Parts: sequence; C-alpha cells; structure tokens
Amino acid sequence: MRLLLWLAAGVLLGLGIHIAVILSLPALATNTLWSRVAAPLEANRVTVLPAVEAGAANPLGLDPLLSYAVCRINLNAGPGIVTGTLPDAAWSVAVFDRAGTVVYSTSNSEGIGKNLDVGIFDADQTRLLAQQKIDVAEGALVIGTTTDDVLVVVRLAPPQPAVRSRLEQALARIKCGNMPTS
Amino acid sequence: MRFLLHLLSMIAVAIVVGFGLSYYALGDGRLFGALRVGPWLAWPAIGATAPDPYTRAYLARSGVLPLGQGEGVTFTAGSDSEGRPLDRACRYRIEGTTPPAGFWTLQAVSLEGENIAPPGMQMALQSRHVQRASDGSLLLYVSRSLAPDNWLEISGNGRFKLILTLYAPSDISGSGFSVDTLPSIIRERCAA
Repeated sequence: MRLLLWLAAGVLLGLGIHIAVILSLPALATNTLWSRVAAPLEANRVTVLPAVEAGAANPLGLDPLLSYAVCRINLNAGPGIVTGTLPDAAWSVAVFDRAGTVVYSTSNSEGIGKNLDVGIFDADQTRLLAQQKIDVAEGALVIGTTTDDVLVVVRLAPPQPAVRSRLEQALARIKCGNMPTS
Repeated sequence: MRFLLHLLSMIAVAIVVGFGLSYYALGDGRLFGALRVGPWLAWPAIGATAPDPYTRAYLARSGVLPLGQGEGVTFTAGSDSEGRPLDRACRYRIEGTTPPAGFWTLQAVSLEGENIAPPGMQMALQSRHVQRASDGSLLLYVSRSLAPDNWLEISGNGRFKLILTLYAPSDISGSGFSVDTLPSIIRERCAA
C-alpha cells in the first residue's frame, strides 16, 4: 500500500516534469526557425532560399515545388514595409515573430491579386497609425506585432518547373525594409 | 533501505511518465493538439497567431518553417491506412478525396525529412497536374517501380513518410479548422 502511494507520487511528479518540459522547450530549443533562417540574414534584404534537392537535408521542411523569399526586418528603425509585384501564380505571405509564431498570413486566393503591399507595425507604431501620424499606402495590408524582430516569408508556386527561375527573379525583386518616418 | 527503494521507484516512475508523455505528445500528439485523420497527422494550430503550449513546443523542437493558417496546412503520414509503417519496398495506392483547396502537393521523404525521389525525377506531385476521375476523386501511386496513372516515384530502402500540403484550403478560416476526409493509403504488393 505504501509502495502504491510512492508510485502515485511518482506519476504526479512525472506530470509536473511533463508540463515543465513542454513549457520550457520553446525557450531551450537551439535549432529554431529564427536561428536557422532569420539570424543569418542581412536585415532589410530579400533572400530567395535555395531549392530543395532530392536526398539533401531539408531542416525547414520546405516544399520542393515552391519558391521561397525571406526577409528580416527590425521595427526599431521604423515600421516594416514589403512591396512588390508578383507573377501570375499562387503565392502567400506570412510574418513570423522571433519565437517562430505566425503573426499574420494570407494568400492571393483571398483576392489580393498580384500586388504585395504590406506594412508591419509594433505596438507603438500601431498607436501612431491609429492617430494618423504614420501614412500607409491605400490598400496596404496592415499587420500589428508585439515584437520588433520579424521575419517575412513569401511563398510562390510556379505553375511549371520551367518558369521557376524566372519567377524566383521576380521574388528577388521584392522590396523589404523600414518605412521612412518623419 | 525500504525508504530508499520507494524513493527510487518514485523517481523512476516520474522520469518515465514525464519524459515519455512529452515524447508522445510531440510525436503522435493526438491527445495534445494534433489532428489525426486516418493515417494523416497535422498540427492545425501551428500556423495560428497564438498556438497552444504543445504546438509551440512541437514548433520549437521541429524548427520547421510552418504554414500560416491563412496559407494552408500540412499533413504527414508515416503509416498506411492499416497502421503499417510505410516501406519503400512496397507500392502504395492513394485514393479518395482531398478537402477543397487552392492546390495541394504530395511528396515522399525519409524519416529525416530528405526527399526520396530519384535524382532528376519530379520531387512531388501537384494537384493541378494530377488526373482525376470524373467524380473528382483521386487515384495515385507511390512506388519505386513503374505504376499507372499518377505516379510518384521514390528510391532507396527503408521507411518513409508522405507529406500532403493543402494550400489555401477553403475550410481554414478564423480559428476553426476541420477536415472530414483525406485520401486512404493502401499498401499493394511489396518487393521480396
């Protein structure tokens, strides 16, 4: 009977360990999305990720049929802006915070069309935006975030492999950086 | 002496329960935020703006670039519809329907995530290039040897996984997400 009580205590302690593991893992993990993708990037510059190759490691779990453009922006220097004209193909955009959590995402199936025009604002900038102290282009997607470091990922699905290179050139022409503030 | 034995037993149980449950939660995970539909497994909250703690832990552990909820959802299968691990020596028939989506892709990867298409061959199937039956249903094959209709060729030996990614599915909106049916994975014959 006493042994059963000890074992029951072990189960309770195990549940405590489990909760501690789950809650601490995001803080303890070293190979996170941010460390793998965002940290090595030069800020405010669009980088097209290399295509996935058969038999090669794919730690980000990229889709081999898609092309990816990524850009890191620090909002301390002003609101983030991502603009460009994308080819006539399926594409989507997602904004990640430092924890690798998606802050916002959408795809052009939502009727956005070919123009990518995104403004990214931290809490203070969002307040200034609400007070109309920051101007944004009409029709731009306005995204609020609680962190100043963000990673923008644009995914593009080339309709045919033959046009992939040309579409990736269009991806590389996307502008990303900080909005000039007065 | 008896106290020490009881204490060691308690610690052993705590370690097995604590780490075993964590391993299960971040692997199979169906009781902890993962969605299992037949052999397919997804973490639907992985692209949410406020994922639950289990999804957050899975995200940190995997280090992958997830799809946002506005972009799509990824399903992974490591076994067929009868629960047998996928083996590259076997031919698999994938049939059924997919949820309405802008498009989807299907690729085969090793357990480490490397694409296992033979060099120079197509690395994944895309829904827009797949033939369908008149009722819209899907029939495709995954195998090393030549197969009819839609064929995803694989190479090598050992176990593998299938990754089905739905882009812009129509039933991802707001915080809710549900999938009624996904295709079955049926093992046909296996090479000796």
